[in-house]
Amino acid sequence: MELTINAQVRVLDDAAVDPSMPLLWALRDVLNLTGTKFGCGVAACGACTVQVDGQAVRSCVTPLSAVAGKRIVTIEALGSTDKPHPLQTSWVAHQVPQCGYCQSGMLMAAAALLAKNNNPSDLDIDAAITNICRCGTYPRIRAAIKTAAAALRGDAGKRPVAKALA
Amino acid sequence: MKRRALILSGLGAAAALVVGWGVLPPRSRMGGADTLPKANEEFGLNGWIKIAADGSVLLAMNRSEMGQGVHTALAMLVAEELDVSLAKVRLIEAGPDKLYGNVAMFVASLPFHPIETEPGAESGTVKTGQWIVSKAARELGISVTGGSSSVADAWDVLRLAAATARAQLLGVASLQWKLPLEDLVVSDGVVSHPSGPKAHYGELAKTAAATPSGDVKLKERKEWKLIGTAAPRIDLVAKSNGTARFGIDVRQPGQVFAVLRHCPMLGGSPAVVNVDAAMKLPGVERVVRLGPYAGSTAAVAVIGATYWHAKRGADALQIEWQAPPAGTLDSAKIMLALEAEARHAAEHDGGFAFHQRGDVKQAAAAAPRKLEQVYRAPYLAHAALEPINCTALVKDGKVELWLPTQVPGMARALAAQVAGVPASAVTVHVTYLGGGFGRRLDVDFVGQAVRIAVEAGGRPVQLVWPREEDTTHDFYRPAGVALMQASLDAQGLPVALTITSAGDAITPRWMERALPALAGPIDMPDKTVSEGLFDLMYAVPNQRVAHVATRSGVPVGFWRSVGHSHNAFFSEAFIDELAFEAKQDPVQFRMGLLKHAPRYAAVLKLAAERAAWPGFGAARALPAGRARGVALHESFGSIVAQVVEVSLEGGKPRVHRVVCAADVGTVVNPGIVAQQMEGAVIFALSAALYGRIDIEASVVKQKNFPDYPMVKLADAPRIETYLVPSTRSPGGVGEPGTPPLAPALANAFFVLTGKRLRELPLVV
Repeated sequence: MELTINAQVRVLDDAAVDPSMPLLWALRDVLNLTGTKFGCGVAACGACTVQVDGQAVRSCVTPLSAVAGKRIVTIEALGSTDKPHPLQTSWVAHQVPQCGYCQSGMLMAAAALLAKNNNPSDLDIDAAITNICRCGTYPRIRAAIKTAAAALRGDAGKRPVAKALA
Repeated sequence: MKRRALILSGLGAAAALVVGWGVLPPRSRMGGADTLPKANEEFGLNGWIKIAADGSVLLAMNRSEMGQGVHTALAMLVAEELDVSLAKVRLIEAGPDKLYGNVAMFVASLPFHPIETEPGAESGTVKTGQWIVSKAARELGISVTGGSSSVADAWDVLRLAAATARAQLLGVASLQWKLPLEDLVVSDGVVSHPSGPKAHYGELAKTAAATPSGDVKLKERKEWKLIGTAAPRIDLVAKSNGTARFGIDVRQPGQVFAVLRHCPMLGGSPAVVNVDAAMKLPGVERVVRLGPYAGSTAAVAVIGATYWHAKRGADALQIEWQAPPAGTLDSAKIMLALEAEARHAAEHDGGFAFHQRGDVKQAAAAAPRKLEQVYRAPYLAHAALEPINCTALVKDGKVELWLPTQVPGMARALAAQVAGVPASAVTVHVTYLGGGFGRRLDVDFVGQAVRIAVEAGGRPVQLVWPREEDTTHDFYRPAGVALMQASLDAQGLPVALTITSAGDAITPRWMERALPALAGPIDMPDKTVSEGLFDLMYAVPNQRVAHVATRSGVPVGFWRSVGHSHNAFFSEAFIDELAFEAKQDPVQFRMGLLKHAPRYAAVLKLAAERAAWPGFGAARALPAGRARGVALHESFGSIVAQVVEVSLEGGKPRVHRVVCAADVGTVVNPGIVAQQMEGAVIFALSAALYGRIDIEASVVKQKNFPDYPMVKLADAPRIETYLVPSTRSPGGVGEPGTPPLAPALANAFFVLTGKRLRELPLVV
C-alpha cells in the first residue's frame, strides 16, 4: 500500500498492514512516526490528530483505506527546526505545553483551523479545538493560536499605537 | 497510646529496623566524583554534576518530568550556582544510587499540624520525628517524583552540589594562574581574570575533581540571576514539534507490542482462555497470562506486530472470567458504609484523632446552636493522556526497561523479582511522562511488561494498555465521606469543630504493593486520609478531627493532591456554611479566624483584591447572573486561595474566571508556577463538574472519555495567578492549586442558586 505522508510516498508492506488498520498505527508502529499520539482509540481526545488533505482528522479511527491517495501531514512536517510553523513559535512563546503529550494533536488541529481562517474568533477556536489536555493548557493554547494567527496575517509585533504614531 | 507516642514509636521501630541506630547523623547527599558513570571527555565532580570537555554542565536528573516543569526548575538551581546559562545544562540519567532518593517527601508525610512545623518553632516531638524520617529516607534512598516535593528536596542539595563544583573549578583556575580566587569572575561558565587569563569549565574540569573546594558559600538571594525568573522551560521546543519521547514512543530494534485485557471484575482472574480465534489473526504472535502484579487485577496479554495487531488479538480472545474471591465491590454500598462508619465514630470518639484541641464535648454542650452536614466524594480515575505503558527487554539474564514512571527504583525492584534476576541486572530508563497525577507511582504495569518480555524470546516488548483498561483498572482516588459538626456561639461563630471522616487509607495499600519490604503488619496512621481536615488553620478553640481508615477492597492510589483533593472540598465548603450561619461575608469570616496566621490571611487578601471581591480593592460588579465563590487551602507547604466566577448557561454551569493567589515560598520559576496553577484549576474543574467512578459487581462502569468526560478548551475559564512574595524555602507547586477549586465553585453555586452542594461531582 502506498501513502503520501509529509510529501513523501511511503510504501507499506501489505503483509504488515491491512486496509482496515487505523492510520495512527501505521504512522506510529510501522513507520515509527511517533509524534502523533494514541490517547483513547475512539476519536474522543484528539491526541492522534493529523491532517488529511488539509482537514484535521483523528487518525485512531481513520482506516488506511480512507487515506490512500490523499495528502497526510503529521506533526513531524508541521514546521522544521529552521522554519517552525508560526504556531510552534507561539507555542514556545506562550510556554503552552506541560507534559506535552496532547500537543501534537492540538497543533495539528490548530494548524488546520488557521489554514482556513487566519483571524479566528474565540468561538471559532472553541469549535475547532475539541481535543483533551489533562494538564489544562487550554487558556495558553487559545492565546497562542491568536498570536500565531496575527503572525500569519502579518500583524505580529505591530501595535495599534505604533501604527497610529507612524 | 497517645497519637504522638504511637507515631514516634512506629517511626523509631521502622528506622531502627531499616538502618540501625549506629549510623549517625543523616549522611551527606553530595556523592563522590566517581558516583556517575565514567565517559570520555566528561569529568565527574560529585554525585550530581559532571562537566563535559566543551564546558557543558551535565546534571544527574533524579526526578521525572510529567509536565510540572521539574527538569527546568532543577536545572535552574544548578545553573544559578554554577553561573552558567540554562542552555549549558544537559540532563543525564541519575541511575539507581540511593543518593537520588527523596527525603523531603517522606518528612512531609508526618502527620503534624502546620502550626507545629512552622520553621524555627518546631516542638521537640516534631524535630525528633523529622530527624528520624529524614535519616531513614536518606538510607532507603527511594526515588519518588511526587508529593509536590521535588524542588523542596533538591533546594539545598543541588545548590550545594553546584556551588561546590563551582568552587572546585575556580580553585583550579586560581592555582593554575596563581591569581587570588576572589579576583576571578565567571560568566556563562567562562572563568576569567581582569589581567587576561581565561578558561571555560571544560578546560578546568579534569583537575577540578581532585581539587578541594575550600569554603563553599551559596549565593545570597540578591545575587540570583536565574532563580525567580520566568525562564523558558527546557522541554517545550521538543514538545511543540513531536520530537519529545514519551514511554509509548520508545522504539528498539526488533520491538514487538503487547495489549492486555484485565478481568473486568477488580481482583478477578481469567479462568478459561480460548486463544484459537486470536491466534488465527495476522500479526498475532502469542498469548500470555498475567497474574496480579503489584496490586493489579489478573489479565491476559497478546503479543503482536503492532499495537493494532495485538489489540485485535486481545479482542478476539474468548475468556471466561472468574469473580474475585474476596466478594464483590459496589461503590454505592461503600458510600453508605463510609457514612455509617463516620457517624458511628463521631458518636463514640472513634477513628484515629489526627488533631485535638480544647474540649469539644464541653464546648458543644454549652453552645446555643449546632450545624451538622455530611459531605461526600466519589472514586476518581487519573486518566493521564499517555496510556499506561512500559517497554521491557529480558535477555541474557538482564532486564532493560524504558518507561514513564514516578518511581524508577520500585520499577527496578519489581522487574528483578518478576524476571528472577538481581536488581543490579536491571537498567531503568525514565522517559517523559504523558501526565502522571500519581498514577505512575504504581508499578503494576511494569510487572506485566516484564512477564510478557520473558515470553518474547529476547525481543523488546512494549506493553500498551487500551484507554478502557486504564479507566477500569486504575488505582482510584478513594471515595470519602465526612461528617462535619460545628457548635456556634450566640454570635454564630464556631466554638467547636468535630470532623469525622471515613475512607480507605492509601499509603499502607501502596506500600504493600509497591514497597512490600517496608510494609508492616499493621497500618500506621496515614496522614493522607485526613490532610486538609486535621491541619486547618482556622482559630476554632475546640477541635476533634478524626478519620476511620477503611479497607473497601477497591484499589486506591495517590491522585493529584491526594487527601486534599476531597478534604479541601469538605472543609472549605463547610467553612462557607459557617460564614453564612454567622451572617458574615465569606472572605471576612475567614479573615476573622486567621488573625494568628498572617501567611494565610495574606494569600486570601491577595485573591480577594485581584478578584475585586466586595470590600477588597477596586469594586467591580459582576455581570447579571454571575456569582463568586472563594476557598483557601494549604497543601504541600503552599497556600492557595481561589475566587471562582460562575453562571448557568442553559442550566449548565459555566466557569468564567478563576483568580488564584498563592504563597509557594521562594519561587524558582514564576512562569512554571502559573502554568501549574492553571493546570491544577482545570484538572480540578473536570473532577468537580464530571468526575466519578462507579463500581457495580466489581466492574467499573466508566470506560473511556465519552463516559469519563473532561473539561475542554471551550469550557476552560480565564485563570489569573498572583504570587505572594516569600523568602521561605520552596513549597510545592504541582498539586496545591487543585484542592481549592471544588469548594470555591460549590460556594459560588450557593450564591448563584441558594443551594448547597455537598457531594462531588457538583450537580446543579
